Amino acid sequence: MSLQLKTTKERPSNAAGAPGPGTAPGRPAATRPRRRAFTTRRGLVILAFMLPAAIFVGVFTYYPMIAGSQMAFRNWKLSNLTDTSWVGLGNFVTVFTDPAFGVILGNSLLWVVASIVPQFVIGFAIALWLRRRFRFRGVYQALIFFPWAISGFLIGILFRWMFNGEFGVINDLLMKTGFIDQGIPWLAEPGTAMFAVIVANVWYGVTFFAIMILAALQSVPDELFEAAALDGAGKVRTLFQITVPYISTTLALTVLLRVIWIFNFPDIIWAMTGGGPANQTHIITTWMITMTQKGDYGVASALGLIVVALLLVFSAFYLMALRTRKEV
Amino acid sequence: MAGLGIGLAASLALSGCSGTADDGTVTLQMVESLTNPARTELLETLIGEFEEENPGIKVELVSPPTDQADQKIQQMLQSGSGVDVLEVRDLTVGPFSTNGWLADMTEEFEGWSGWDALTDNARNVATANDATYFIPYGFYGISLFYRTDLVEQAGFDGPPESWEDLLEQAEAIQDPASNTFGYAFRGGKNGYSNAALIIEAYVADDLDLENAYRLKNGDSMFAAPEALEAIELYFDLFERASPPSSVAWGYPEMVEGFSNGSTAFLLQDPEVIAAVQQSTAITEEQWTTAPMLVGPTGKAIQPLATAGWGTAEASEHKEEAAKLIQFLSEGDASIRFTEGNSLVPILDGAEDAEFYKTGAWESYLTMNASPETYITAVQPRGVAWWTEWSEKADAEIQQVLIGQLTPEELLAGWDAYWVEKWASE
Repeated sequence: MSLQLKTTKERPSNAAGAPGPGTAPGRPAATRPRRRAFTTRRGLVILAFMLPAAIFVGVFTYYPMIAGSQMAFRNWKLSNLTDTSWVGLGNFVTVFTDPAFGVILGNSLLWVVASIVPQFVIGFAIALWLRRRFRFRGVYQALIFFPWAISGFLIGILFRWMFNGEFGVINDLLMKTGFIDQGIPWLAEPGTAMFAVIVANVWYGVTFFAIMILAALQSVPDELFEAAALDGAGKVRTLFQITVPYISTTLALTVLLRVIWIFNFPDIIWAMTGGGPANQTHIITTWMITMTQKGDYGVASALGLIVVALLLVFSAFYLMALRTRKEV
Repeated sequence: MAGLGIGLAASLALSGCSGTADDGTVTLQMVESLTNPARTELLETLIGEFEEENPGIKVELVSPPTDQADQKIQQMLQSGSGVDVLEVRDLTVGPFSTNGWLADMTEEFEGWSGWDALTDNARNVATANDATYFIPYGFYGISLFYRTDLVEQAGFDGPPESWEDLLEQAEAIQDPASNTFGYAFRGGKNGYSNAALIIEAYVADDLDLENAYRLKNGDSMFAAPEALEAIELYFDLFERASPPSSVAWGYPEMVEGFSNGSTAFLLQDPEVIAAVQQSTAITEEQWTTAPMLVGPTGKAIQPLATAGWGTAEASEHKEEAAKLIQFLSEGDASIRFTEGNSLVPILDGAEDAEFYKTGAWESYLTMNASPETYITAVQPRGVAWWTEWSEKADAEIQQVLIGQLTPEELLAGWDAYWVEKWASE
């Protein structure tokens, strides 16, 4: 993935004259290869090659998506699947008029913003540190990247016990170091519960930013840093005027990806609090799980479509803003 | 939605496993729900013995992780093939039978010699609503786990007998500074179940025993004046005698809290006996169980939760499936299964075995001996909306615990919910 993301900066390397595919020997690289005539037979061959993949994607991706989406407009309750009548926008009305919806939408935004900012800053710092050459760098890299290999649900279970008010290690440490006298019921109060799930998510997601940014940093040519040093640029100036602009495309796309993933990432919250206490840590996707547990697949599917719509709108605005900035 | 796709794929992959081989051997696909490794091992042993007795039948046991098991079973049933025998719970029998996924086994079980050996409770469950959707394999009954040493140190002669006693003793034991708490309160998943228990104990005289959320006069039990008294005491138990973080406690935290010695009282099923016996923090001498807590009526309601084995409507081997279920539901196989899983047995007289007379099981004996005090009742767990109810009730209990709802509002909401649901039946 990192290779794809940095191609915008690295693409010029192929312009140095290496012959591209289809270049006839002895001809200049700039000459266009002659295109083969498109015949019905050739079209059928292409179609035959594409068909298995198209069928696979159609059956296992698009069919379930469409089938799932139409549930959002039906009375699709596990308690009685003999009556899945059309209810139009009824499930959406149920969602929007639920008193919990406002809280849950606010939680979703808080969850994304409060998770992504520390993840980005700490991930960036780790990537800068790992870019330097030092002994056992590989070992440190492996240790730092390790959390990304663990399931989010398992991490949630571990943090659930760590944040346990009576026998959790976090309270124990805080009491032993004298910060608190009595255990804090982290997961029992709305404010601290949200804080706890965000801490777990930050711990988990820092790794992703570290991996992505480190890959991007390794594509910055050393000559640029040497030239900046010769010109007398300090470390901070080099960071903001050389490093960040050079990898800005990777950074922007990484942030976009992370926003989408975090918004869609119920694992940690589900394992730690199940959305409680009293819906106070629910985000839209954990609420969706609750709805499926209730057996109300219609409302759950409506929530799924709302998530897709919100992320589409966000992605469109984000990419437009990026383009505008570049044009300026 | 991607999950749905994966589910469909899994169901498709699993389908076709059940069938008949060229030599006439029938292979039954069996799926369990409340899976744990020890139980699966025991079940496989019993299946092995069944196969020996019935050379023409092979059984393939599928054991999905408990958390996802019912959803997996639902996907398999929805796909219409791939499952013959399945674990049916009192929670799932409603939706599964409404959707036409469960076979009514009345015909296959006509004349079954095992009927006479069943307890009244087991027979009632197996023939509820004039159909046999499953034969229960055992019952999950509640008792009060308590710390004998802490109760004694607090100056009490014995365990609490009533909910009021519990509050008094738990409050006396509560000492947050030394990380000792009175009661392992259930504020998280399935927290509504204990709230219902206390209300039932308070309205026991007027309760409809066939529908233990309803009074004999047809009202919901949540509308009774005693219900408010009960629920206020219940929330006092949280305020004054439970760990503050128990707002979020579900099954694992409650059992851990009791097993690691930090809470003195725990209301749980007998399956917890085995878990607490493995504790290294408290010895066998430091704990035991007591009968359920009574209300001012002097009575307690024992809601027997249950699960059992049923046949899928789409199965092509209903006769063979019935043979397997009959084998598991009678004689030695049934006794070994109930003892191995700490369940209240389904066979008449099985509770007279030595196993049920010792240690933590004694309280069950006491309860069995006084059926007028510890009254067995059927909660409406089979209704199609039970899961919806449990999710709603859990969230609202937490709302009361964090001060977003009053106990009066809670009960009014619950009453309205049940009245509306019953009216729509």
